Amino acid sequence: MTSSHGAGRGAQQRGDEREPVSVERSNEANSKWLDAHYDPVANLYTFSSCTALVDLHRDGEVKLVVGDLGTGLYNMKLKVYKGTSLMTENALLDLPTGVVTFLMDQNEPRTPAVAVASGPYIYVYKNLRPYFKFTLPALDVNLLEQDVWNQARQDMIDPMTLKEMLEGIRDKADIPLSVRSLRFLMLEQEEMESFVNLHKHHPIKRQTVITCMGTLKKNMADEDAVSCLVIGTENAEVLIIDPEAFTILSKMSLPSVPAFLDVIGQYDVEFRITLACRNGSLYVLRRDSKRPKYCIELSSQPVGLVRVQKNIVVGCSEETLHAYTQKGKKLWTVYLPASITTMSLLDQKSRGFQAVMVGLANLEVHLYRDKNLLNIIRTPDVVTSVCFGRYGREDNTLIMTTKGGGLIIKILKRTAVFEEKDTSPGPPLAQGVKLSVPKKTKLYVDQTLRERENAVAMHRIFQADLYRLRLMASRAYVKALEGSVAPVSSVQQEPLQMNAVVQGIGPKFKLTLNIQNTSVNRPSIHLLISFLYDEHLYSMKNSFFKVPLLVPGLNYPIETFVDCLSDKGISDLIKVFVLREGKSAPLLTAHINMPVSEGLAAA
Amino acid sequence: MGFFDKLTGWLGLKKKEVHLLCLGLDNSGKTTIINKLKPSNAQAQDIVPTIGFSVEKFKTSSLLFTVFDMSGQGRYRNLWEHYYKEGQAIIFVTDSSDKLRMIVAKEELETLLNHPDIKHRRIPILFFANKMDLRDALSSVKVSQLLSLENIKDKPWHICASNGLTGDGLQEGVDWLQDQIQVMKT
Ligand SMILES: Nc1nc2c(ncn2[C@@H]2O[C@H](COP(=O)(O)OP(=O)(O)O)[C@@H](O)[C@H]2O)c(=O)[nH]1
Ligand SMILES: [Mg+2]
Repeated sequence: MTSSHGAGRGAQQRGDEREPVSVERSNEANSKWLDAHYDPVANLYTFSSCTALVDLHRDGEVKLVVGDLGTGLYNMKLKVYKGTSLMTENALLDLPTGVVTFLMDQNEPRTPAVAVASGPYIYVYKNLRPYFKFTLPALDVNLLEQDVWNQARQDMIDPMTLKEMLEGIRDKADIPLSVRSLRFLMLEQEEMESFVNLHKHHPIKRQTVITCMGTLKKNMADEDAVSCLVIGTENAEVLIIDPEAFTILSKMSLPSVPAFLDVIGQYDVEFRITLACRNGSLYVLRRDSKRPKYCIELSSQPVGLVRVQKNIVVGCSEETLHAYTQKGKKLWTVYLPASITTMSLLDQKSRGFQAVMVGLANLEVHLYRDKNLLNIIRTPDVVTSVCFGRYGREDNTLIMTTKGGGLIIKILKRTAVFEEKDTSPGPPLAQGVKLSVPKKTKLYVDQTLRERENAVAMHRIFQADLYRLRLMASRAYVKALEGSVAPVSSVQQEPLQMNAVVQGIGPKFKLTLNIQNTSVNRPSIHLLISFLYDEHLYSMKNSFFKVPLLVPGLNYPIETFVDCLSDKGISDLIKVFVLREGKSAPLLTAHINMPVSEGLAAA
Repeated sequence: MGFFDKLTGWLGLKKKEVHLLCLGLDNSGKTTIINKLKPSNAQAQDIVPTIGFSVEKFKTSSLLFTVFDMSGQGRYRNLWEHYYKEGQAIIFVTDSSDKLRMIVAKEELETLLNHPDIKHRRIPILFFANKMDLRDALSSVKVSQLLSLENIKDKPWHICASNGLTGDGLQEGVDWLQDQIQVMKT
């Protein structure tokens, strides 16, 4: 046998030929990523906070769990992907705001549960079947509001009165109105009656909704330890929920509504919850503190939050990425080429490498390690969610979904190593190298001592010299200004004569300068005219222009306009300088005494 | 009766040993397949998927098998590459139902083919498109396309769909490999 055999010689071919796996080949030959899968029409609409990677069945094959927002009104679903295909889906009643997976208890088999936050509820799934529904406790109702609705129920007031009274309460009360009342206030008049009749028999309720969700290990740090749920709510509170009893273990309040949260630590030992809030601040909560321990004010709205080791990286709406220590000390800022669409952590466990992935509106995903940009992934559509970790059986898999509902899966090459110098922006490596500063010499030490002892005298000498310098400069200036005040130039090479005429009653004046070259046969070129005047009083369109070639003996009228800005009846001097190009001392100077403006300024 | 009876008989006469490398991504079915190929008295019963880096070695009268996973990150790579030198034939196993990692298998195959100890040798490579019994498995033609096998010009190769659990397809591959080894040895 000699040459190689054709593909599938005698191979057992099978009838069911499948769709080619749609893989978008990267055009960058030296890319660090393998394009494992791309489905532009996967129909997945989600954010990073609603995606999770988890070994749902404990079979070593990690699945992707996605809270799909559908159209925003319909088709909200909890989807589970296995490899390149959709495995199961469950309908959701409302938009998901967070999806996390966690271990609820110590029971065997230790299959992780999935929690989906949606409206005021947390839906908990076990083995992908609905297992428990947690409802946020109802909030206090405004008593006045309740009273008004009672009156409506007893038909003591008509819908219009109800509306007026509710509006009064809305504008003054500390406790906000219930959703029902707010909805009622939005109605057109003809819809009111039926709305009241439909709802008046039910007591009013006030409920908050969940804005973000995370998990917190209960009392062990292990990967497979039992975790509590941590949720942020629309009424600016943070709740920690027990995973077995679904009771509220702890409740903390914030100055604003949290939008993103990050949790580190263990509930029974010590923990920190970092929250990015809608008022543009970050707050750090700790165990045993009902109020934030630290506050970091951002320059704009937070749009993403990621913790890298102990530092917090927050993305802001003004196209920036800021990093802070957990005590709120600012570490760095990176300016991005486009606005942020999503953020996530890249944790390459085998190498102990962590970096921040930032999805951008310019179809790129950037990878930052500290403030260094290490890698750029170009995507066919704007990425709205990013998730990195073990997927299927491969560590270091990157899963992204796009604005158009696409699914992109990339796998980090097993040989790929991210290096600080991978892309050019960011400070050069040399900046991090410590210079070997030579030892201080005796001369240096002596000099420093002398400077320390004679500081006052040295400062005085410096000041005296500075004043002298300023005086000399002013003298030279005055000399230049007044050296050639006569309207006739006495310079031999440039005999010139000039007079000025002011016409008009104001506030607009016409200024005519008559310039004449008085030499016998030498034309004047390269002359300039400049004006000096009080800019609060006058304005000129051109206060500096070139003079045309002046033929000897001829009179050149040069016209310009002056606007008087003041209506207080005051006038001032305008100085005209005729200069030679390249020389600072004027050839001649004319002082024009402007007349008082009699017209009203800008009449 | 074992799969390699013909070869062992023939090689036994010539008192030669052949060294086979069996490799592929973790979970592709290497251990399962090798256990089927081994003489029945040597078969292990429970097969636990190989995790991390481990090398399985065993010997029949005239065949030396070295089996390992091409798994994980760079750290272990040179450990397994060190076995390339002694291999005289390669069995490369892929899980045809793992579409996601087909590209990873392709990458590993390319790295293997470009390794200095493999690159310039005309060693035969047998591909098993394993787990053909699974519902969403790709056909062997599709697998050979995704692995770009048509680009292998200087080595004899062959691909079969297989089922490591039942042994379906294994005999065909082994027959081809025996032919190749005989050609090599004569
Ligand atoms: N359905 C099916 N499963 C298989 C086949 N071959 C192996 N397996 C299973 O795949 C898993 C991994 O097999 P194993 O031989 O340990 O893979 P290795 O990591 O490559 O050694 C085991 O659960 C096997 O039972 C096959 O042809 N079909
Ligand atoms: Mg094995």
